[in-house]
Amino acid sequence: MSSSPSETATHPLQEFADHVAEAVGGTAEIQFDTVKVRVSNQNWIGAHATARDDLDLVFFSWLSAIDWTNDVEAGDPLDEEVDERIELMSALSDLTEGRLVVFSTDLPSENPTIPTLITTFAGANWHEREAHEMFGIHFDGHPNLIHLYLPDSFQGNPLRKSFPLLSREVKPWPGKVDVEAMPEDPSPDEPSTENPEA
Amino acid sequence: MTTIDPEVIRHLSETSVSVEIETEDMTLNIGPQHPSTHGVLRLVARVDGERCFDVQPVIGYMHRGYEKLSEVRTYPQITTIVNRIDWVSGYANEVPFIVAAEKLMELEVPERAQYIRLILTEMARIASHLVFNASYPLELGAATPLFFALRERERVLDLLESVTGGRFHPNFNRIGGVKPAYASGSNTRKLSQDLPAGFLAETHTAMDKVLEASEQLEDLVAGNEIILARTKGVGELPPEVAAAYGVSGPNLRASGVAFDLRRNQDYLPYERFDFNVITGEHGDCWDRWHVRLLEIRESVKIVQQAIDGIPSGDLQAKVPKVIKVPAGQTYVRAENPKGEMGYYLVSDGKSGPYRLKIRSASFSNLSILPWILEGALVPDIIAIMGSLDFVLGDVDR
Repeated sequence: MSSSPSETATHPLQEFADHVAEAVGGTAEIQFDTVKVRVSNQNWIGAHATARDDLDLVFFSWLSAIDWTNDVEAGDPLDEEVDERIELMSALSDLTEGRLVVFSTDLPSENPTIPTLITTFAGANWHEREAHEMFGIHFDGHPNLIHLYLPDSFQGNPLRKSFPLLSREVKPWPGKVDVEAMPEDPSPDEPSTENPEA
Repeated sequence: MTTIDPEVIRHLSETSVSVEIETEDMTLNIGPQHPSTHGVLRLVARVDGERCFDVQPVIGYMHRGYEKLSEVRTYPQITTIVNRIDWVSGYANEVPFIVAAEKLMELEVPERAQYIRLILTEMARIASHLVFNASYPLELGAATPLFFALRERERVLDLLESVTGGRFHPNFNRIGGVKPAYASGSNTRKLSQDLPAGFLAETHTAMDKVLEASEQLEDLVAGNEIILARTKGVGELPPEVAAAYGVSGPNLRASGVAFDLRRNQDYLPYERFDFNVITGEHGDCWDRWHVRLLEIRESVKIVQQAIDGIPSGDLQAKVPKVIKVPAGQTYVRAENPKGEMGYYLVSDGKSGPYRLKIRSASFSNLSILPWILEGALVPDIIAIMGSLDFVLGDVDR
């Protein structure tokens, strides 16, 4: 990913990020004030337990995933080729200073499987059910891995990029069409706010 | 050893049968359409006498797929979508999303725009907490507070509408600032790029009235013995359980955790204002009600301070006509009326996000239900559920 001026060694969160990464055995990166710690699949549960017990990251904020793929049916494809994978992410926070860490690990796009976090954070239950139906991730040991939002008979994983959005297949508006028709004078320094006649 | 007459034994055994009734567990289905569910929620509970066990919430009736939709929309279009997540405080949903996009664009938002965002966010919080103060006593059988609370909420919503044009779905934030009021054409835009005349003074007075009403509400509810009996010591939530489930906002503070994202995140300039973080002691239904009532007063304080100190200046930073957000990832979270609302934004430099994870407060707050309702009395289901103050649009997204 691209770099930004805020992403330097002197970032105020750098020390904290390095400390977390060292404690859980991962690597830290800071992007736009967000601390992300990459861990391995095998270390997924252990990293969370360490974060909770030793680093005071006791608040389970969320768990979700990103489908990195070159086969994009809905939305814009990526500019550059990526390694196809599912990036599983979870966010933990402390309840004192408001510091948050996003833990991230890579899973294969085909049959992604990882042990469940429920025994470490009970709140992972619904988040994992959501990630299961939306991305097809299998959480080993989850006691109730059924659909959360979608009907039981629903086929497919809607948040996979290869899952088409049927209404947009039929009619691309709104979205692509009105944006591409607009730029008659795209001079970037014009202090424009609205498209008044839109 | 004396022998007992078999007739007596038969009689005794029959008595014991009639005293200890053989009971069977019953499955109780609440919803999906139920007035206390604030949307469409179904609960399936196993009922043993007056106690319920294994409560399973069934959600998804309002799932609209906003995360997928965001992948085919442009950034300005997405504010329209996120408005509809927690529709009781639609304005507050927009802010963290817009701030996330601005962070990737490294935009400096004019101070006046930030103050307007802050004032409107706090007004949305007051409106949301007033809805809670209207509906929660009603669910427990007290109808009068509803009229006091909704009267004040109308006052706040009228003011919100005068600025944004919308009561529920303002769609007022723009990347780089806020929408200029009354901008309907290229000529008028330059003339009236600001809040409607008299808005600040009216809001200041309205806040005094809200403060007065919050005292009336406290008299009405806190002096009601039935409400006290139904809420004190009911549905206690220990802080460590709340944290493990990701329960946030007033529900977490009612359990005694003084954690407020307005204190430690920089999405809006809250550090300039003086306000208290309200906490409860026991984490029961009473504390959850009381924390929200007191938070109305803190929000009133913040709004009045912001009105007194609002700087003049632009409402918009310079942004290109077609907004493309540079590649990068960030997570921005905000203290919304219901709790932590955050957006994990992944951009690839296009006019729409590659992925937008929406972390909504009610989703995690509702996921505590199986834990908190385990072994609760059946009539307490409504008392406990109502005290969590969730909105199904915020659960299902």
